[in-house]
Amino acid sequence: MRYALAAIAIVFTIVGPASSAPPPTKTPGELRVALAMPSAGFQVGAVRGRDVVLARGFEIDLARALAKRLGIPRVRFVNEPLLSTLLKAGPTDWDFALAQISVTPERAKRVDFSTPYFQADQGVLVRRGLAPKPSSIADLRKLQLCAERTSTGGLLVVRQIKPEKKPLLLLNPSKLSYELFTGRCDAVVFDAPALAVLRRQAPDRYGPLVGRIVTGERYAAAFEQASPLRKRVNAVLTQLTKDGTLERLRKRWLGTDTSALPVVR
Amino acid sequence: MTVGVAFLEGEQVVYVNRPGSTALQAVAALLAGPTEAEAAKEITSQVPSGTPVRSVTLQRRVVTVDLGEKFAAGTNAESLTARVAQVVLTVTRVPGVRSVRLLVKGGTPLGLFPGVVARYPLTAKDVQAPDQPPPSPPSPQPPGAESPETRALQQRLADLGFLPPGAVDGRAGPQTRSAVVAFQKWSGIARDGVAGLATRNALASAQRPAPISSGTGPRVEVLLDRQVALYIDGSRVARILDVSTGKPGFETPVGVWGVTRKEERSWSVPYKVWLPWASYFVGGVAFHEYPDVPPTPASHGCVRVPRADAEWLYRQLSTGTTVTVVARSR
Repeated sequence: MRYALAAIAIVFTIVGPASSAPPPTKTPGELRVALAMPSAGFQVGAVRGRDVVLARGFEIDLARALAKRLGIPRVRFVNEPLLSTLLKAGPTDWDFALAQISVTPERAKRVDFSTPYFQADQGVLVRRGLAPKPSSIADLRKLQLCAERTSTGGLLVVRQIKPEKKPLLLLNPSKLSYELFTGRCDAVVFDAPALAVLRRQAPDRYGPLVGRIVTGERYAAAFEQASPLRKRVNAVLTQLTKDGTLERLRKRWLGTDTSALPVVR
Repeated sequence: MTVGVAFLEGEQVVYVNRPGSTALQAVAALLAGPTEAEAAKEITSQVPSGTPVRSVTLQRRVVTVDLGEKFAAGTNAESLTARVAQVVLTVTRVPGVRSVRLLVKGGTPLGLFPGVVARYPLTAKDVQAPDQPPPSPPSPQPPGAESPETRALQQRLADLGFLPPGAVDGRAGPQTRSAVVAFQKWSGIARDGVAGLATRNALASAQRPAPISSGTGPRVEVLLDRQVALYIDGSRVARILDVSTGKPGFETPVGVWGVTRKEERSWSVPYKVWLPWASYFVGGVAFHEYPDVPPTPASHGCVRVPRADAEWLYRQLSTGTTVTVVARSR
């Protein structure tokens, strides 16, 4: 009896009063999170082989916040260059993967998803000095719009916005940002978080993010199927959403909370 | 023996000599930063001060430079890419070195330096070559409505030298707006580019600006306090231009300089940006076109000129044209 009490006391001090047992991670006391670096704002750093020696970004801080709330003392990151590796069916040597993984029914057949932690809509970023600022689809229609040729944004521009001037559909995002900077584009339609990061990295080069067009894409952590850890992570994600931690992290790493931008209709 | 260390001046890299002959000495000199005397001449560095060196090793003409985490501090893309260019250009200048493998905290950087792929060793050419084609001119905006009020405003601005006579067309546009801003800067009125009551009152009684310095022939004065440039022919101010000079920490160097070289399209190596109609007048400091000319100092030391006036100014200047940069003009 005395031994049992002591054991309970130890568990109590390690995991805190909220949990009844230590979180079922692959390695006790260590949360191992798989990444697919780089992605500006979300996860960048330095790697030696698969080992991450330096990591920073929204998803890095999210992993650390999760570990802290779960009472796991150590976080270790491993980098997998191919996203497909993170989405393979079967057992993994990491506890879960964080890599702006969009939830899709097809992927859900191979991995289990957490509660989403991020809503990634399309954003509208305008050039410096553009006046008046567009606030509706009708406003956007009158501008020189630009988008990446084969992206969600490109499709939105061509099929939904249907601008009066021929849109500039470019082959890669770096050309897109450059032409917005030079003034050839009045506005760019692209993934809202990427645009937020772009603006945070070069605030002098672009005008504001004026809004978002809702596409409903959501990012979630990917677990191997039937992972015993998933429920615990979901509970903590709900907490982090409710107490404003997620919102604070989005603002910190993306410069703006893109899910709070006004919706352009 | 000396090594050449890549620091920054205006929008370009400048090399300064330091004693030494090895890559390690060159890296140490780079991390130590410009001397006080160099800093006084507005020579700067984007490498964070206090960045530690973990190791510098040479193997088969490839130098591996392993720096502490501080090297990747901050989020400003221009600063992050410039510091990588500084390391690569400094180390590849050491005899016998072909390329540089950059590590941070012992690891290969992934996404720490926007626009830089550091998975492979970098050569000087990798960081010097433009990664964007020269900009195409923006598509012309549909002309605004013609109005007699705008024409009268433009005529007044042209009479005073703030607008070229050929730009008086009765239609509001970016060139008129720049001219209004230049007038507001000159007159000490809030720089909003809108010809409100205060601006109109000041315009009614204004006289064409006079040069600060005496001299002969064509020359330029850059007035840092007012953020305007005067193009002077003889003793007459031919044009007053709305400009934006170096921001705090990157001040445009004060002094009497002369145009050293002109490039219709100049590529900024450290900051990875095209500078059309560039006339360099001291080191890497130039007049150049820039898409955005805010009403306050914003550049890395250069003098940004609005698109509508940049080519015109470029055409007036020749190698040797005197450029006087003045801190206080009143």
